[in-house]
Amino acid sequence: MTILTGKAEAHPRLQSDRSGVLRKIWEHRADYAYVLPSIAVMLIVIAYPIYYTIELSFFNTPPGLQLRDKIFIGLDNYTAILKSPVFWKVTSNTLIWTVASTLIAFVLGFACALALHGEFVGRGILRAILIIPWVISAVAASYIWKWIYHSDFGIIGAVLVGLGWADRPPNFIDSVGTVLPSLIVVNIWREFPFAMIMMMAGLQTVPDQLLRAAKVDGANAWQRFWHVTFPHLRNVSTVTILLLAVANFNSFIIPWIMTGGGPSNASHIWITHIYELAFGRQRWGVASAYSVLLFLILMALGYFYVRALSGNERKDGSA
Amino acid sequence: MSTIAETTHRRLTHRRMRIDGWRWGGRIFLVFMLLYTALPMIWMLITSIKSGFAAMQFPPQWWPDQPTLDSYQKLLDPQNSVGQDFLRFFWNSLFVSTATTILSVIVAVPAAYAFSRFTFPGRNFLFFAVLLRNMFPAVIFLVPLFILMRAVGLVNTHGSLVLTYLTFGLPLAIWLLKGFYDNIPVQLEQAARIDGATRFQAFLLIVMPLSAPGIIATAIYSFIGAWNEYIYAYTFLSKNEQLTLPVGIQRFFSENTTDFPGLMAASFMMSVPVVVLFLVLQRYFVRALTEGAVKH
Repeated sequence: MTILTGKAEAHPRLQSDRSGVLRKIWEHRADYAYVLPSIAVMLIVIAYPIYYTIELSFFNTPPGLQLRDKIFIGLDNYTAILKSPVFWKVTSNTLIWTVASTLIAFVLGFACALALHGEFVGRGILRAILIIPWVISAVAASYIWKWIYHSDFGIIGAVLVGLGWADRPPNFIDSVGTVLPSLIVVNIWREFPFAMIMMMAGLQTVPDQLLRAAKVDGANAWQRFWHVTFPHLRNVSTVTILLLAVANFNSFIIPWIMTGGGPSNASHIWITHIYELAFGRQRWGVASAYSVLLFLILMALGYFYVRALSGNERKDGSA
Repeated sequence: MSTIAETTHRRLTHRRMRIDGWRWGGRIFLVFMLLYTALPMIWMLITSIKSGFAAMQFPPQWWPDQPTLDSYQKLLDPQNSVGQDFLRFFWNSLFVSTATTILSVIVAVPAAYAFSRFTFPGRNFLFFAVLLRNMFPAVIFLVPLFILMRAVGLVNTHGSLVLTYLTFGLPLAIWLLKGFYDNIPVQLEQAARIDGATRFQAFLLIVMPLSAPGIIATAIYSFIGAWNEYIYAYTFLSKNEQLTLPVGIQRFFSENTTDFPGLMAASFMMSVPVVVLFLVLQRYFVRALTEGAVKH
């Protein structure tokens, strides 16, 4: 955590006595004025909900949000989750969804960044077009792809039939076997531009002299990439992959709008499942317990994220 | 001698061919990615200029026999009930996104500045909390916020959206802006202080103007995030008059799913403002986004 303090930390002296801390806080009272509004907002809309979610996760809550009638049941919500077969189905979906989306989006984005590195005619326009899926609303993207996958009038089905590869248009998102991969294609479509932007920025920091020196030493393009460029991008890559993983883990709109988690839970991931438990089936307690588990997983990912970020800053100090 | 020259020559051509091979591989890959990216959007546009009847054909018409702007006309016609709804959703989105953006920036600017410049007890912990918030999905906060909004009577108001959009707008804004302030030399403020400015004056008169690009980038990010937000709006709003575009479009077409041209036209119109905004200001935007992650 010291990493986050940056360079301004002048006195790393330990203040163990209580009055010292209070005095220090008093001395810095003017500083707090700057952060007070954001702390107030964050307490209301972030800290309080987290606290309340944890509390609710230990209660049996009646439908309709009549919370005065809630009954304390200890860890029952948690054991109910772990015993449910749906939990394991949804968890495996979430893993497939997160890992496949993250890795493929990262590789495609990185490859685009490499291919776009260096000057050529039309580079700017190309880059702009490739970014657009990331900017447009996920709701719009979901509807566009739903139409593309349409089992009667969808264009992919039509092409497959036209080429003679299928007798009739496949039910991409209406059948258990194909729904998850089909949604992952959409998700990657929306997310690879983010990896591309990050890696393009990273590539600009690779020192030209190193690449030229490697070239003089006889390294070919692949060797230059593998031994010079790639090690230099380790931190950006880590941060990008983590951010993508978290974003994918937290996806909601694409599966919710395209399939609503169906058919028979085949495209339910944690987030959509939690939403359905809460606002669909009104099982607020179970949904809250799910949220707490999710929270713990994300805290772990967050730990790696902060460590990756601090890896950058440590480099700052030594350079 | 001649043999040496020959081998050198051969080796050089060989190397050039390999380099060209990589370059051509890259070009072919880019064409593939361009198709993957652009074809769905082109198909959206083509569908949006079909009649409802023409869209429902198999095999599909690659280009409509009779292209028509009917769908767009309907969406933009305030006399038509479809247009009334669509335009209202559009204004609602514009209002909520603008309000969120302004609030996020006003609250985040001083906080980001403080995180960048001051060392006060609890600073690390608070910034850590800000960073961490970016990792949590809206769904975690949804139930308690829904209860909270119901208790204070904000359900079914745009106020509930603006307030909850701060949950993601604010942490991100603080993070982006801090990156910008970190890159503005402290010496500039110190010089101003020596010339007699107070700390707040130095912040207002020296640092603020210099961070204008960062503030613009942050504002765009907040705006796009709020414009595209779906879950909170989907949960908190129920009356047709209040819906924002992403939810409005959904409600609108769930009753009439066969109107795919209309749906595609609406999707296009919903995307135009953010894409234009992004393309015009993408330089600032991309810089702000990547600064924190790649700085060395």
